Amino acid sequence: MKVAQLSLNELRALLVGPGLRVKAGPFNLSIRTRLPSLIRQLHSLYSRYSLVEEDEIVEFHVQVIPRRSVRRPFARLIQFEVDGRFPFPPVPLEQALATLEWGVNLVIAARINHFLLFHSAAVERNGHVLLLPAWPGSGKTTLSAMLMYHGYRLFSDEFGLMEPQSGEFYPLPRLMPLKNQSIEVVRNRLPEAMLGPEIPGTLKGTVVHICPTQASIEQSDETARPRWIVFPKWSAGAAVRLEPLPQSEAFLLLATNAFNYEVLGKTAFNAVTNLVRGCECRKLVYSDFDEALAVLNALTDG
Amino acid sequence: MADCEKNIRAEHHQLLLEAIAQPADLVNYNNQQWELLLRLARRAQLSGYLAARLEKGGMLGSIPLRAANLLHSSLIQAKKQQQSVNWELNRVIWALDGREVPLIVLKGMAYLLLDLPNAAGRIFADLDLLVSKEDLNQIESSLLEKGWQHHALTDYDERYYREWSHEIPALVHPERGVEVDVHHTLSSPLGKLKIDPLPFRKAAVRVQGKDIYVLNPEDMLLHCAVNLFQNNELADDLRHLVDFNEMLQFFIYRQPDVFQQKLIERANQLELGNPLFYSLYFSRLLLRSPVSTDLEQQLDRKPGWIARHVMHYCVPLALLPQHPDQPSKRAVLARLVLYLRSHWLRMPLYRLLPHLTYKFYLSVFPGRSTDTGHNR
Repeated sequence: MKVAQLSLNELRALLVGPGLRVKAGPFNLSIRTRLPSLIRQLHSLYSRYSLVEEDEIVEFHVQVIPRRSVRRPFARLIQFEVDGRFPFPPVPLEQALATLEWGVNLVIAARINHFLLFHSAAVERNGHVLLLPAWPGSGKTTLSAMLMYHGYRLFSDEFGLMEPQSGEFYPLPRLMPLKNQSIEVVRNRLPEAMLGPEIPGTLKGTVVHICPTQASIEQSDETARPRWIVFPKWSAGAAVRLEPLPQSEAFLLLATNAFNYEVLGKTAFNAVTNLVRGCECRKLVYSDFDEALAVLNALTDG
Repeated sequence: MADCEKNIRAEHHQLLLEAIAQPADLVNYNNQQWELLLRLARRAQLSGYLAARLEKGGMLGSIPLRAANLLHSSLIQAKKQQQSVNWELNRVIWALDGREVPLIVLKGMAYLLLDLPNAAGRIFADLDLLVSKEDLNQIESSLLEKGWQHHALTDYDERYYREWSHEIPALVHPERGVEVDVHHTLSSPLGKLKIDPLPFRKAAVRVQGKDIYVLNPEDMLLHCAVNLFQNNELADDLRHLVDFNEMLQFFIYRQPDVFQQKLIERANQLELGNPLFYSLYFSRLLLRSPVSTDLEQQLDRKPGWIARHVMHYCVPLALLPQHPDQPSKRAVLARLVLYLRSHWLRMPLYRLLPHLTYKFYLSVFPGRSTDTGHNR
């Protein structure tokens, strides 16, 4: 059953009561909130997600709750809560959705060690995973949002979830926060995309969430093996370049960017070694998405 | 008293306590029980402990996959933390560079050095050390010289630590982030219960093959008991009672006929009857510890009738985690009582009231402390 099949009242009853139990890739999530604005946003933005089957274990239980501040008695604040803990300070009500999404990412990053968690976008084409690891200013969210509408299946814009022994990657298609200038780019290029409200004033500036395509969410149980690792860099006015990257450099960039590389120790070292050895590693510099798409298509055609 | 308590104990408490007492039964839990148990175990910081038990019994493959994945994740995290603290100890010994400072390792790292049964999967992030007061300056300056730093502290906190507490402000090496807590005594110097650290230091035993020490088994249990019932506020502290009970069973198993007697004698000698009484009492009540009730009857010092009843009611409500979706007001009240008790035991009233007032002020106006923090 999908969230879309719930009426707003049914959804509200879950969110206010026992929790909305919803699938997020390999994890299950329970969300509770009483905030009417957040309930309405989730009603549309979560509509494509499936409810957790009855009697399945839910891993993460999160809440977004209203807060009062003695110092700012008239400000309407909210806070993200997970298992009695508040990892972020209270923020204005308008940022509830962004805080919820970041909070869930934080909980995954902090608690999950049976996967190696790369800080990377990941998409799939022709049955294999293309990893797009974070590189400062890479615009991986924008790039993966665009690719998702051009023949690629979205795994995640944030997490490359790798099962360290098998090397298999797991999709985790969650809402993706577009930031600042990239919002207009996506609005113009992807008029069909489902976008959330504009959330100004977050730590990362103005944010608008884009919902993964129905196909990406529906196939989120289908894992795949990696074949290409491309470090993207958006650079204003640059001509498109796709250059080979030495495996040693790819190793270091991946390992130092992974959330739990150190925690997994030797397991992680072996896993990244095997990953890099089994993949074609490239560096992509681009300014125009169509040019980038053309070279990525050429890379992933075979 | 124990039987009637059992009947009114909340279901979620039973669930967690059963899991600790009978880990072999976990393979029969349904998904609903697992979901709640995992949340409770995380709150009680016992998920690594449960995971280690299941792994040892070869049962991680026989429980639901989602539960196994979360427990496995906790176990990996716990192992990494243990490795980090172990390395920190190595670095501290290196920093002392052969200076004659006998180091007594306390708590989690000590359990690990001795490979005690409660060490597997135990979640801890700090390195706790006991040194003599005379060696305190030596070790502090050696560590500062080699790159460790004090956390940024307000002048108030600094004074709290140095004058009223039993440790110096924590030292952290910025590259590794593991807290090193150097103690010179085992309880607050202002507290009602004065504990002379000298007999503990004298009885400390050398760790095999290393130039460091740990407390002897009786003292290790007494220190655990003192921390639980003297120094801490008991909220969500079940894991320390689990430590106590696991170690107690282990040492009894190793010295079957004599250990219990040695423990009682040592407690009487050091006048630590009260915390040992409570530790034995609640181990039996909550963890089904098989030790006989005769044991605590031999203690010279025991809590009075009223204190015992108040503690019997309050301690389980504080030690055991709250139900994550249905917090109980009774538990909040019990925790408040024990919070005040712990401060009452640690400080005289004329110090306690200003201290709590100051802490309350900070909770309303965080970041508006009387002095700005500074790095020393």
